[in-house]
Amino acid sequence: MSEDLKEYLNKIPDLDLDLFLESCERSLPEGFRVNTIKSSEEKILNRLRRKGFIFEKIPWARYGYILKEGGELGRTLEHMLGLIYLQGPVSMAPVEVLDPKPGDIVLDLCAAPGSKSTQIAQLLGGEGVIVANDVHHERIKALSSNLQRFGVINCVITLTDGRKYPKFARGFFDKVLVDVPCSSLGIISKDWGIAKSWSSSLVQRLSKIQYQLLAAGFDCLKPGGVLVYSTCTLTVEENELVIDRLLKERKNARLDEIHLPSLRFRKGVVEWDGKHLDQDLEKTIRIMPYDNWAEGFYIAKIVKEVDGK
Amino acid sequence: MRVLDAGERKYFELRLKRQYGVDKAFEDLILIKAGQGRVRAVTKEAFEVAKRLKKVQQVGVYVAKISKGDVILSIEGSQMLNGKITKNVIDLDEEGAERWMKAEVMPAQGTWEGKYLVGRCGDLYLGSSRITRDGKLYPQIAKWRRVPIE
Repeated sequence: MSEDLKEYLNKIPDLDLDLFLESCERSLPEGFRVNTIKSSEEKILNRLRRKGFIFEKIPWARYGYILKEGGELGRTLEHMLGLIYLQGPVSMAPVEVLDPKPGDIVLDLCAAPGSKSTQIAQLLGGEGVIVANDVHHERIKALSSNLQRFGVINCVITLTDGRKYPKFARGFFDKVLVDVPCSSLGIISKDWGIAKSWSSSLVQRLSKIQYQLLAAGFDCLKPGGVLVYSTCTLTVEENELVIDRLLKERKNARLDEIHLPSLRFRKGVVEWDGKHLDQDLEKTIRIMPYDNWAEGFYIAKIVKEVDGK
Repeated sequence: MRVLDAGERKYFELRLKRQYGVDKAFEDLILIKAGQGRVRAVTKEAFEVAKRLKKVQQVGVYVAKISKGDVILSIEGSQMLNGKITKNVIDLDEEGAERWMKAEVMPAQGTWEGKYLVGRCGDLYLGSSRITRDGKLYPQIAKWRRVPIE
């Protein structure tokens, strides 16, 4: 890890660098969701139990489990048939915060490879629509494959720059997920290359795109709609500063409290580089990789107010 | 996105009836022609949303392919018809299902009508397989859906 990155991480309030470095050395827990679109939760779990898999329920994610023992789930019949979906345990949190309900029209603006889109589809329970968008043609293939394997009949896949979405879908969606591309500091243990390629200029570049995507997602919301912004990184520029800017530029954006049972996290940063940010940013959450010995994430829940209320 | 017209839908339903004994297939869904004889199924609501959007790549799921008059069901297509398939179903044990999902050539006992049948393991449907005159099964599992061979 570069000295620049260590220096940066040391500046983040409430971050314990030693624990962070320890988390980077540990492998991430293997999480999975059972697909209730295709079968019942108990039937699928019983199949896995019969094959010797041992797992634990994830308290903050409906249908989510952490594998404890039993081998490679990715090579099983259950995975190939779409009865389970492999997904990191903390990565399931943003969709839980979004909390899609049957009948909602939901946009997943940066959807590939589709983990969160399939999770949204599952919570829609076949009623409503999931629109899964991505800008990369190659990544759309993975998105399409995962939605197919999961059996999502109420999905629409679009291929476009998410920043252009308001041109044709302004005020159209009940809920929007903006899970942006980021510098991925929360998942270094997956790939040390993330730490090696980190630079402040990369963060600045990403931050600009992230704000544009967030603003576009917000503009696609109906009044009264809910948007969840998430990253798997820890930099303030990609997290609180992006939200702070939206709160300044969209007067009808309001942050909402986040409740996730048993997930350990801390409040969002409200002071950075000597500047005071919007105090409501305390309602956003930072999840350090060592909080749950899993992925690091940042999540903000934003409501679009009706007529300024 | 081109919706199957009434004639095409009727032909598809007739083939499903004749091959697999299916009555009233994909009733509440819109069927889309997706090139190379492929058929996708999507909910009406999702189809309406798709019409409103731009840069739409795909809707719903791939359920079947019509090839030389035969219907080859995808895994999801056969799962969606769960309970309606009454003909040309072969029951497999867990080991057989694993082999099927590895796209292994397998022997099939019994006599079968036509060139395709559907695999089932308990209440899990596994899509269509080609069956040859000498009783060999060739499961039509796309490479990316196959259980990896050890």
